[in-house]
Amino acid sequence: MSISALLDKYGSLYLQAMLTTWRLTVISFAGAMAIGLIITVIRVCPIKPLRYLGDFYVQIFRNIPGAAMLILLVYALPYLKLNFPYETCVLIATIMIPSAFCSEHLMSGMNTIAPGQIEAARALGFSFFQMIRRIVIPQALRSAVLPLTNLLVATMLTTSLASQVPMRPRDLTGIVSYINTRDVGGVLAFAISAALYCLTALLLGQLGGWIDRKVRILR
Amino acid sequence: MTESNVPVIELRHVDKHFGTLHVLKDISLSVNRGEVVVIIGPSGSGKSTLCRTVNRLETIDSGEILIEGVPIPPEGKKLAAMRRQIGMVFQSFNLFAHMTILENVVAAPRSILKQNKKDARAEALRLLERVGVADQKDKVPAQLSGGQQQRAAIARALAMHPKAMLFDEPTSALDPEMIGEVLSVMTELAGEGMTMLIVTHEMNFARRVADRVIFMDGGAIVEENTPEEFFAHPQSQRAKDFLSSISEH
Amino acid sequence: MKNPSIRDILYEPPGPKARRRIGITTAAALLLIAGLIYLIIRQFAENGQLDARYWSFFGRATTWRFLGEGLLSTVEAALTGALIAFAVGFVLMRGRLNRFAVIRFVSAAIIEFTRGVPTLLFIYLFFLVVPQTGWELSSFWKITLPCAISACGVVAEALRSGVNAVPKGQREAALSLGFGEIRLFYQILFPQAIRFVIPSLIAELVIVLKDTTFASVVSYADLMQNAKVLISNYDAMLSVYLVVAVIYILINYLLNKLSEYLARRMNRGAEGRTS
Repeated sequence: MSISALLDKYGSLYLQAMLTTWRLTVISFAGAMAIGLIITVIRVCPIKPLRYLGDFYVQIFRNIPGAAMLILLVYALPYLKLNFPYETCVLIATIMIPSAFCSEHLMSGMNTIAPGQIEAARALGFSFFQMIRRIVIPQALRSAVLPLTNLLVATMLTTSLASQVPMRPRDLTGIVSYINTRDVGGVLAFAISAALYCLTALLLGQLGGWIDRKVRILR
Repeated sequence: MTESNVPVIELRHVDKHFGTLHVLKDISLSVNRGEVVVIIGPSGSGKSTLCRTVNRLETIDSGEILIEGVPIPPEGKKLAAMRRQIGMVFQSFNLFAHMTILENVVAAPRSILKQNKKDARAEALRLLERVGVADQKDKVPAQLSGGQQQRAAIARALAMHPKAMLFDEPTSALDPEMIGEVLSVMTELAGEGMTMLIVTHEMNFARRVADRVIFMDGGAIVEENTPEEFFAHPQSQRAKDFLSSISEH
Repeated sequence: MKNPSIRDILYEPPGPKARRRIGITTAAALLLIAGLIYLIIRQFAENGQLDARYWSFFGRATTWRFLGEGLLSTVEAALTGALIAFAVGFVLMRGRLNRFAVIRFVSAAIIEFTRGVPTLLFIYLFFLVVPQTGWELSSFWKITLPCAISACGVVAEALRSGVNAVPKGQREAALSLGFGEIRLFYQILFPQAIRFVIPSLIAELVIVLKDTTFASVVSYADLMQNAKVLISNYDAMLSVYLVVAVIYILINYLLNKLSEYLARRMNRGAEGRTS
């Protein structure tokens, strides 16, 4: 199949697929950031059992394979009378797995803060929350820009899990399997999706690098 | 008792352990208004720990610490309010890495004292001028030399209008050629009547600027005297050994 | 001195009020966690998922032998994939540091490409597209090759950062001793670089291992696929998938711990040398 024939027949599907991948990526990343932030707060709070709970969450979700988690959500949870639509199952996986990594990046961002600066803030008379807001969060976020950019790309790659469930519209990975089971799409069908993934990743990487250069903290 | 008779900083029978190590042994001392007290002693003598207990960066096991006659609160807003009145300068400067020099000086007056932007800025510039780093105001700490960072850190502490200043080995992390510029800022500050408690290894500075010298060893105050008397006629064997060991350098 | 974690620096030694507050919240948190565990167990019990028939077969040796075989296939695929990724990654890294701009550019493009495309898409390439060319691969290679391709770019970048981490002075010292560029690289730079990057290589192995769970797409009999056989034998979906998930989590957890341990040990070593 030539590229023009392929695009004639499936062009609008590709467009839909790309928008689907982007949509899943944005929702997943926003969710992962929100949950990752909450988990991080829990992990640094002074309540020991909550800390362990936060650590436990992170260890579970940074170590579970995406496929295993999706299968649990789609096929096993209904046995506990927990039925979710396919897209919800995909999103739960693509939010919770990156959220664990998000928390790890925020933790190491915080660990770049020299202990002396915390003491200095205390000695100046900052209250605990003033210190968190003015000293800890800005520094942690600014040194986590690059890891979080990489996480955003990784989240996009994780959304390819959507191809494993019968979800409509299909994502960029699902469309390749769809075309190739109906037509002989050949390597072209693959290449178009791959190029769209790659371009998105490249753009996100550039954006992240630009932000990082703006906010990087000299040490 | 009139207000001026109450010591700005007073420690009564302070004890502290790190595990089995007895780092502060029954320490009592006071610093009066306008007085400059210098603590010297070998490393590991507990002098830094002592300095840090004054604004409760280190907790104590027993005894009392009073600021203008009021015991230092154990926690919360009251502790933060007390700390505002005591400036502190650290060995490793501890400027906020994500802020410019000017922002470092403005941060606490803005967030804590709720000063308006214009006033806080004007005051900060005046202080930076005074310590001689006004021309560096828009750089970040990592772009400054150690001496410049430490002077900016002094300006940051002064911006809160403290009643007293603590200096925890302020020149120990500096290259030799930068020690002088920091000490001269401190000397100036002492000349203006600031109440100061200083932990240092700079004996010449202590001799020149101190009203009183405290010699610590093994977690206890061994000797307390005027600088003239202390350096000319140390009473204890330990002080004699210490002074002769440093004069060899 | 070991670096204290931010967790310990953030809080001051608590005063009496703070201690009381922490005590009360800790008790509340423990109750909350106990409540959560209770809810989960109740959900299992109410749906009959705690029945013996779903769990008793885990007491049989055959079950574990079967899962073990699957695990072995998983490990085989993951290790083969990782080895290929290492070899290709090494070549890409050399290309990325080549003196010719064209080679540098091509290597960088390949690295970016493999890092920007999901493993699943590579799997579909080998599963659906490659057979169209008449090239028949076994299911083992259909899962192993995509996983390897997906990892090689990351490996290349990890190796490159390792080479760049070797102090510049060593290069100059070796050149002044009369080392050629090739001997310099293989005898001086690379042996040190590899030590720097072993932790991130192990972390990458975890990613390859996770990627192999897509083996069911190509019907390779890995742990996941064998789990499916158990499920149809015993009609026990939830228990089997849970156990399998725990096996994956445990293996990856241990690998990550190993990687962190090696990284810590290396940092300590580096500090010891410089001070």
